[in-house]
Amino acid sequence: MRALCWEGVNDLRVQTVPDPEIVNPHDVILRITMSTTCGSDLHFIDGYVPSMLPGDVIGHEFMGVVEDAGSEVKKVKKGDRVVVPSFVACGDCWYCQHDLYSLCDNTNPNAEVQAPLLGYPTGACFGYTHAFGGYAGSHAQYMRVPHADVGCFQVPEGLRDEQVLFLSDAAPTGYMGADFCDIQPGDIVAVWGCGGVGLMAQQSALLLGAERVIAIDRFPERLKMARDHIGSETINYAETPDVLAILHEMTGGRGPDACIDAVGMEAHGTGPGYLYDKAMQTLRLVTDRGQALRQAIMAVRKGGTLSVLGVYGVMDKFPIGVIMNKGLTVRSAQQHGQHYLPRLLEHAVKGELDPSYLATHRFSLEDGPRAYQMFKNKEDGLVRAVFTP
Amino acid sequence: MDVGSPLGGPATSGIADALKGALPGGTGKASQEQRRVTLILGGVLLTLGLRRVSFGGAALALAGGALLYRELSRQSGQAGAETHMAEVTRSITIGKSAAELYRFWREGGHLPRVMGHFAEITETDMDQAHWTVRVPGGRSLSWDTRVVESRPGELVSWQSLPGTELPNRGEVHFRPAPGDRGTEVTLRLHFQPPGGTLGAAAARALNGLVPSLLVGDALRRFKSLVETGEIPTLDRNPSARASTA
Amino acid sequence: MKALVWQGVNRVGVETVPDPTILQPTDAIVRITSTAICGSDLHLLDGYIPTMVHGDILGHEFMGEVVEVGREVRKVKVGDRVIVPFPIACGHCWFCQHDLTSLCDNSNANAKLAEKMFGYAPSGIYGYSHLTGGYAGGQAQFARTLYADDNLFKIPGGLTDDQVLFLTDILPTGYMGALNCDIQAGDTVAVYGCGPVGLFTIMSAFLLGAGRVIAIDRFPYRLAKAAALGADPLNYEQEEVLEALKLRTGGRGPDSVVDAVGMESHGLGLGGLADAVKQTTRVLESDRPHALRSAIISVRKGGTVSVPGVFGGFGDKIPLGAFMNKALTMRTGQTHVHRFVPRLLEHIVKGEIDPTVIISHRLSLDEAPHGYHIFKHKEDHCVKCVLDPWAAPRQGNASGTSKAMGAD
Repeated sequence: MRALCWEGVNDLRVQTVPDPEIVNPHDVILRITMSTTCGSDLHFIDGYVPSMLPGDVIGHEFMGVVEDAGSEVKKVKKGDRVVVPSFVACGDCWYCQHDLYSLCDNTNPNAEVQAPLLGYPTGACFGYTHAFGGYAGSHAQYMRVPHADVGCFQVPEGLRDEQVLFLSDAAPTGYMGADFCDIQPGDIVAVWGCGGVGLMAQQSALLLGAERVIAIDRFPERLKMARDHIGSETINYAETPDVLAILHEMTGGRGPDACIDAVGMEAHGTGPGYLYDKAMQTLRLVTDRGQALRQAIMAVRKGGTLSVLGVYGVMDKFPIGVIMNKGLTVRSAQQHGQHYLPRLLEHAVKGELDPSYLATHRFSLEDGPRAYQMFKNKEDGLVRAVFTP
Repeated sequence: MDVGSPLGGPATSGIADALKGALPGGTGKASQEQRRVTLILGGVLLTLGLRRVSFGGAALALAGGALLYRELSRQSGQAGAETHMAEVTRSITIGKSAAELYRFWREGGHLPRVMGHFAEITETDMDQAHWTVRVPGGRSLSWDTRVVESRPGELVSWQSLPGTELPNRGEVHFRPAPGDRGTEVTLRLHFQPPGGTLGAAAARALNGLVPSLLVGDALRRFKSLVETGEIPTLDRNPSARASTA
Repeated sequence: MKALVWQGVNRVGVETVPDPTILQPTDAIVRITSTAICGSDLHLLDGYIPTMVHGDILGHEFMGEVVEVGREVRKVKVGDRVIVPFPIACGHCWFCQHDLTSLCDNSNANAKLAEKMFGYAPSGIYGYSHLTGGYAGGQAQFARTLYADDNLFKIPGGLTDDQVLFLTDILPTGYMGALNCDIQAGDTVAVYGCGPVGLFTIMSAFLLGAGRVIAIDRFPYRLAKAAALGADPLNYEQEEVLEALKLRTGGRGPDSVVDAVGMESHGLGLGGLADAVKQTTRVLESDRPHALRSAIISVRKGGTVSVPGVFGGFGDKIPLGAFMNKALTMRTGQTHVHRFVPRLLEHIVKGEIDPTVIISHRLSLDEAPHGYHIFKHKEDHCVKCVLDPWAAPRQGNASGTSKAMGAD
């Protein structure tokens, strides 16, 4: 089959690779109908996340049709149209049983090698480095999905592929980020980043009862999307000298009750702090630039919540003193998609959640390298590139 | 090792050696592939570790070399490179009762799968097994073990029979974990490496990280098999690495 | 009156200063009967908290008798025996009304300064730099206290000073540190630091249902105190923390981890050295977050990192990736003392908590510089120094009433 593979830093190629096969009894083979780029892919494409190997099939946000099922698969069957979260979860371990699916104990074949990085290993993620399991990703024609009964969610009749595709990752990640904010009536939530995850976090905050949502980005077309599709108020940080002062004014001097960082380690910023980070990161001395996170920490009100969805490694100049003295709560996680998908599908069926506008550009798999180039540079207003293999 | 940077420090340089010895020979193409993957992965982690060392080195230049010496000697001492005895203890918590886990360990022929990542095991009867392990240099070691003590729901211990080049013993303990967490399982392996060239290679492989990885993996494989009925694997995982074959 | 004042980095001394007076109608003057030196005072001593000025009176753990009240003070009477929480609460703002008193909007006289550093200003604190208001502290014979009706807690008769003094800070701080772990019955809690806050965290964790507490430090005498409270001691100079915790928790890791060390934690190895070098410069990095880094790495997946340890600025090499990938929660803050005083007082009255066990030294105020010295350098098995501002200086002690002494 054809698949989009990582061959080195900033080197993606479409290759012919062997078809996947059923290996374990809970596996299914999925024929991929749609697969999309994710901002976190850029971290390993740029070489900031270790343990990619040349030839790895990438992609972790996808949907498809079940082509073949292992002997122990009970709930899904051949021909089912399903959407699958990015993290592989067994459903049986203590973490899965406590709805912490991305922390699954039983799905990462490289757990022992990942453990020293984190203390304890997480579950596996499709197409996202060998530390996260090394499973072949979704930018391919077919894919093996382990523990299919836990990971495959049937798509209800009447929903188009692009309405469902983003329920694989962007929507549950954003929804979880908003859920972490413990939103109370009257709360104002600020979200850094208007990519797929950021937009989904904004929409989720409103679904969960936020009074107002403020979005921060530098791309006018993305900010427009936040206003038009969600109803967020927006700040273009490239056009203002002081985001904090504006947030201060917009919130009556209190600050947002919760701040969500949907940017992560490759955050852009302005000023000397950014240049310091950029220099350090270029030297690979530290992996994170962290401008968005630092700004969010400064901006959030006292006693507020900081919800971190961006992907990070090790950060310097981390304002722990601000967190301590303002008495903040910091929450973060990789998405527990299996926990959120049922309610997200319900929102989709009711018409309360339709992320299809994120799919600004479509490509064939063969155009994969060009699609990622455009995605990385945000050319032509591209928010998400979608492949139809 | 600095607890804050678990990959930091010269101890990391053991990883590459470790992985060489740690990995299963395996006969199939898949396991060869997995071995290669893990080797490269080890290299990546090693590089990370070395980078930390150079970061530390910069600070060291400011503070003088005496502390480096202390640091190095402390770490090599910790790794136990000078001793000819290797013992590894690792624990894992599994969401089943101690009685179930004990049965699973003793009965049903699961051990060959659990240990399959580094040893081929043939169980001759409930108490005896034949082990074969590949070591660096293309050679293999084998031995027979016999269960010397077993207490249902509590522990199993075994040791190698006389005559092997690599005398060893092992034990697995089961004790209830708090709350709804299941059972804490502790696996301890103890090797007495032989002398000679093979002995030196084995000693190197058996000290520090290698057995820790082996034992850690064995426990994870046991847990996954018991909790989910399968062991996570990258067998036949599509990639452009295999496409030339 | 006599007071212990900051005289520059690593210098404190007892000087004669003017008596405090009522400035606002809601003030009260307290004649101090007992006061203590807190671990966070060492951050001031060492010069890691900015905006200290020569002559500032230190001390934020104190109690005594009300000797004068402002004209609008209604509930507090002259003669009342009271404890004074270290954060100052106005009692009226949104934060005070939500029991978040250390975040009070109105009590920090230098809010503008704090806003520059933190985005928004936390409450005023007695004797804790101009960033938190610049209020004179309680290592003195008298103190002016603010918003007396909302801050001074009357102490029932029959309780000694030693039993209730720590309600002003470290007991509620340890309690909030444990509470922030959201302990479920049977949980394992690891506590970094067996100083006063760490010890109170251990006590509180057991009160809140922890099945097991693992106490981490490097001083055997402090680990012995922790063990006496029922904790499992772990000496990080003798055991590698992550591996030792894994072995003791069935490979899972502790369900929650408390950093009761804060910005001046000691670490081993090269990373530790780099931090110490950088921190000495006061510019590159103000905080040495070893305990915090270790806590993030060693807590189990989905666990909680509770940070009662004080941090002032920035930390380097924070493993945010581990924080994120392990789906952790971090809870922190200066202690909302007022919220916890009633329930802790009840525990003390019932005999469920005995705060006096941590006291290792009783000194006169004149001996305070010596107290700072032994506390900082962990000499003479020092855990907690309680000061009596009215005791006569002991014969032959190195420090005189007006003579400054380098505490380093």
